[in-house]
Amino acid sequence: MSATSPIGARVPMIDSVDKVTGRGKYTDDLTLPGTLVGKILHSPHAHARILSIDTTAAERLPGVKAVATGKDTPVKYGILPIGHDETIFAVDKVRYIGDNVAAVAADTAEIAEGALGLIKVDYEVLPAHLDPERSMQAESDFIHEDKPHNIEKEYHHHFGDVEVGFAKADYVRDDRFDCAEVTHAALEPHSTLANFDPDGSLTVWSSTQVPYYLMKTLAATLEMPEEKVRVIKPLIGGGFGGKSEVIPLELAAAVLARRAGAPVKITYSREEVAYAHRGRPRTIVELKTGVKRDGRLTAVEARIIQDGGAYCSYGVVTILYSGQLLNAMYDIPNVMFDGYRVLTNKPACGAMRGHGTVNARFAFETQLDMIAAVLGIDPAEIRRRNLLKAPCRTINGLRVLSYGYPECLERVIERSEWRAKRRKLPFGKGIGMAGSHYVSGAANPIIRSLMPHTTVELTLGRDGAVTLYTGAAEIGQGSDTVQVQIAAAELGVDWKQVKLVAADTARTPIDLGSYSSRVTFMAGNATLDAARQARERLLAAAGLALGAESENLVWKDGVFARRNNPRPSIPFAEACRLACGAEESLKFAGTYSPPPEAQGGKYRGAGVGPSPAYSYSAQVAEVTVDVETGQVTVERIIAAHDCGKAINPLTVEGQVEGSVWMGLGQAVQEEMVWEKGRLMNPGLLEYRTASTLESPPIEPILVESNDPEGPFGAKEAGEGSLAATLPAVVNAIYDAVGVWITSLPVTPEKVLRALEEEKRRTSL
Amino acid sequence: MTLPDFELLRPTSLEEALAALERCGPDAQVIAGGTDLIPSMKQRLFTPRVLVDLKRLRELDYICSEEDGGLGIGALTKISALAESPVVVERFPVLHEAAKTVASPLLRNLGTLGGNLCLDTRCLYYNQSEFWRASLGYCLKKDGTRCHVAPGGQFCWAAFSGDTAPALLALDARVQLAGPRGARELSLAEFYVNDGVVRVAKAPGELVTGIRIPAASAGWCGVYKKYRIRQSIDYPLAGVAAVMRKTTDGTCLEARVALTGVNPAPKLVNAAVLLRGRRYDATLAEEVAHEAIRTGKPLRTSASTPEYRRHILRVFVRRAIEQVWRNGH
Amino acid sequence: MNKEPIRLRVNGRVHELSVPPNKLLLEVLRDDLGLTGTKCGCDDSSCGACTVLVNGEPQMSCLMLAASYQDEEITTIEGLAKNGELDPLQTGFCEEGGAQCGFCTPGMILTCKSYLEKNPDPTEQELREALSGNLCRCTGYTQILASIRRAIELAREGRKVEVSKL
Repeated sequence: MSATSPIGARVPMIDSVDKVTGRGKYTDDLTLPGTLVGKILHSPHAHARILSIDTTAAERLPGVKAVATGKDTPVKYGILPIGHDETIFAVDKVRYIGDNVAAVAADTAEIAEGALGLIKVDYEVLPAHLDPERSMQAESDFIHEDKPHNIEKEYHHHFGDVEVGFAKADYVRDDRFDCAEVTHAALEPHSTLANFDPDGSLTVWSSTQVPYYLMKTLAATLEMPEEKVRVIKPLIGGGFGGKSEVIPLELAAAVLARRAGAPVKITYSREEVAYAHRGRPRTIVELKTGVKRDGRLTAVEARIIQDGGAYCSYGVVTILYSGQLLNAMYDIPNVMFDGYRVLTNKPACGAMRGHGTVNARFAFETQLDMIAAVLGIDPAEIRRRNLLKAPCRTINGLRVLSYGYPECLERVIERSEWRAKRRKLPFGKGIGMAGSHYVSGAANPIIRSLMPHTTVELTLGRDGAVTLYTGAAEIGQGSDTVQVQIAAAELGVDWKQVKLVAADTARTPIDLGSYSSRVTFMAGNATLDAARQARERLLAAAGLALGAESENLVWKDGVFARRNNPRPSIPFAEACRLACGAEESLKFAGTYSPPPEAQGGKYRGAGVGPSPAYSYSAQVAEVTVDVETGQVTVERIIAAHDCGKAINPLTVEGQVEGSVWMGLGQAVQEEMVWEKGRLMNPGLLEYRTASTLESPPIEPILVESNDPEGPFGAKEAGEGSLAATLPAVVNAIYDAVGVWITSLPVTPEKVLRALEEEKRRTSL
Repeated sequence: MTLPDFELLRPTSLEEALAALERCGPDAQVIAGGTDLIPSMKQRLFTPRVLVDLKRLRELDYICSEEDGGLGIGALTKISALAESPVVVERFPVLHEAAKTVASPLLRNLGTLGGNLCLDTRCLYYNQSEFWRASLGYCLKKDGTRCHVAPGGQFCWAAFSGDTAPALLALDARVQLAGPRGARELSLAEFYVNDGVVRVAKAPGELVTGIRIPAASAGWCGVYKKYRIRQSIDYPLAGVAAVMRKTTDGTCLEARVALTGVNPAPKLVNAAVLLRGRRYDATLAEEVAHEAIRTGKPLRTSASTPEYRRHILRVFVRRAIEQVWRNGH
Repeated sequence: MNKEPIRLRVNGRVHELSVPPNKLLLEVLRDDLGLTGTKCGCDDSSCGACTVLVNGEPQMSCLMLAASYQDEEITTIEGLAKNGELDPLQTGFCEEGGAQCGFCTPGMILTCKSYLEKNPDPTEQELREALSGNLCRCTGYTQILASIRRAIELAREGRKVEVSKL
């Protein structure tokens, strides 16, 4: 590495100039000559059988170029191999208000909208299942015929012996937590442009976090060979998981393009984004925890119900994460988990930042404070007493190597003046703490195969040009920049010298996508692998020219030279030319697959949760509660995040701040409000993501535990901080006014009700 | 989302605008800032054949101190101009406070006083897309026969959700209208109709041209309190404007309190007369607050719950009264 | 629907166009002029991604009928960099992480541009007020505020950054 290594440098994102000048293109900014506008007809019923669809009038409308319905596209798909329960358009039934029934491509948006109104659909309305706890008791009219009692999946895990654990406990408590459904609300509505070439090959530009899975699903549902499908990911206006699987418009646009023989673009309205959803499910957590008098955990038992909506989506993974990641944070000797992913007649829930862990973590960290309060232990101390002794393997088989959580705790304790403030602030003001963690990518792929999780190609041109080809999907988190930094560091060149070609399935190697915080760790390692190979080749070429073994060479100040004799020397470009020999350029393929030791246990469901590395976060929130109105003002949040190594502190801090802020939104003001299966707030006016005014200052602290397997020690940064924010705020409210809020979001009304109950209780 | 088709007229004078409105009859609607109308047209809540754009009626864009000490404000005055006006800040602080809470800085740059006064009443079952409303079978206010807020009733409870109206109501302002049969003035209490469909006592072809705040209301202490979940962009889920004229020793000479966001019309709280002639008294403020929740009748028209909005209304009325009584000039 | 001739002044250039009266400025900028830096993030005029400057004032182009804004000077994000040099705000947003996904960025920068002309040295609270109509879903606003502070420093120092040199 040269003296000015880009590792640890605050490098501006390589696409930032495009973003600040408006030159960068997002999918909806693209158009091809003759592009038609696609619009989708949605179901007005939560649950109904389709008796007939008549599209004749729509087809006859001048300007309409194609109409498609479910009979044209019956192939089932889904992001999980065990969850192929969606079709592009409903075939027999519609399962939620907003479900996809048909689509039209027309010359203009006005004509397409007009044509939708001419499609006649006869429905037989069926009873709708809307509440998860009731839905799982249903005896008839199941949402999917092959899912009795509307249970998508249930898991029952038992590690150790909780009965023994509870028997050993000095104190056991049982609480019920209820977290409302929330959604990603990325600012860019989903958009897809699809075009068929005369040779029958398809190109799709789409706002996707998973170009590779989209390519595969397009091929499967349109019944085409995969090599005829090309997916290109332009700039993405935020994903957060909402674009981490195939979204109906992506397939609908392709179907329409094929039928119309012309390019078709579909861009969702904000309301359609809400129906596409795939957000965080409403989650009911019944949590029982036992501790010794000193706060040492003896057993944890969790019963978790997720209201998954009408399709599987990532649901099986979501419910498993909620149970599996009860572990790997603290040392818990006995754990039982009963998880139910339940179907209801609402839009499908899926993966959202902090996938599966957030609501369970909220429950756990809140209950830990409840326990600490009863036992008279400082919340910081009860966490210290239950730390893992890493490196270790948890009781459910998760391997933990680097563990910066203890340092995270100490750093936030210090920065927040915890000891001076806790229980010492005036009534109405409070301080609270919590922790969270997350995977650095899943150790097991969604589709089982022996293929590496990611491959990155690096080419050296004979003129010294360095180009990275990566399938990883930059979605605003800075992953392209991190890969450039890693390659530059390993080759000892300026990061500006590295060009990057990304996320085009025809030109870039396979990467599984941007989800479960896998890119820095996995694509980063693959980049490092490719760059190492390139470096070795350059050293060998330089060594040959200098008459020295490569281990006796140094690469410094932009030149290769013998260790003891700086002259003669060979500049980088010259080394490239020498290495290329008779070739125009050299190509190096780096790969990454998680080691078998990181892949978890063998029991049913063991595949979800294992990761090569876990990130850790500790946070302190300060709040003010207006006891008369119940309004909570979050004054400040300090978040220490163990990211292993901050390859780019600028973007890591941005990810930590963004995660904390998104968690805060879920904690205090975001909520999808349902009434009889109808979403009452399908727009950004009524789904209230925070403005600048109620967003508190967020102070990130980066902790570097140097993971032994991460690239330069790096691990996850983009999701792990989210979950701690919710309990930190709720715990601060307790410190402020002495009540526990166990239902999210914390509305002023819930605070008032809790205060009234507390008053009644203490006056008895 | 697309807008429906319409013909756009861009008159350059009030006279021309009124003539256009008369000529086009009920098919025509006016547009100024468009902050309320354009999203509603996307949702097909309005589908006028003709839109009369008032933007070029520069004559209606003014804030003008009158000789007698009153203040005239043109209907096309931007909310941002109103919020920043030194004369408003100094002499009508309640209007300043209310104006600066309207929506967001961007929306205040487009939205006008006339538009804020004529804001359509709002309801969660109404301010939705055509698809959404059709899936529910529409509602009493638009295209349907059932009210989903008060099922079985034949009355529309959609809530008036403007911020400047309660302030102006408290300031005893009068609204100026121009129409085919000439100009007229109404008190704001007369202008607003407590019916979510009818909303305002504006005759066909009539335009709001401005408001006039009487000299007698100048210099009163005033505050505006707005309950919303997000501290910007949002409409009020409950809003309280309070003004008071006091002697130098703090005795209340006169006080008015007005509410918004909780009824189909902004409303004055009659009980504010109890404050007259009294020195600061916390119990009295509470008493008026208690009476205020007989006037404010929040229903399920917006986010939060009716119970909570009633609660916060009471707290805000009391706090607003305390504030104008104890602080300020 | 019938198209009508309109004349728009955008980024110092006059465009003679023919558009139906129901076209929003947002649509005309994007579809007819190819100025796709102006974004559409919502349908209920709440998010501010479509912000442009109209005679220097930030306004939401999703609310503006194009035909009604023929007499005004409109500036979009594409009009901000001059002679190949980034505006200090653009540099600040690059250097301090104000743009993550970048979708709110054009609107955020334009709102800020207008505000800093009036108040070149704002407090944090004043900035928060000024930006409160532009929603961002990525940053939590912390790095946006840092970006603006950087821009203020750059402007004060008179440091110019060429587009190609960042």
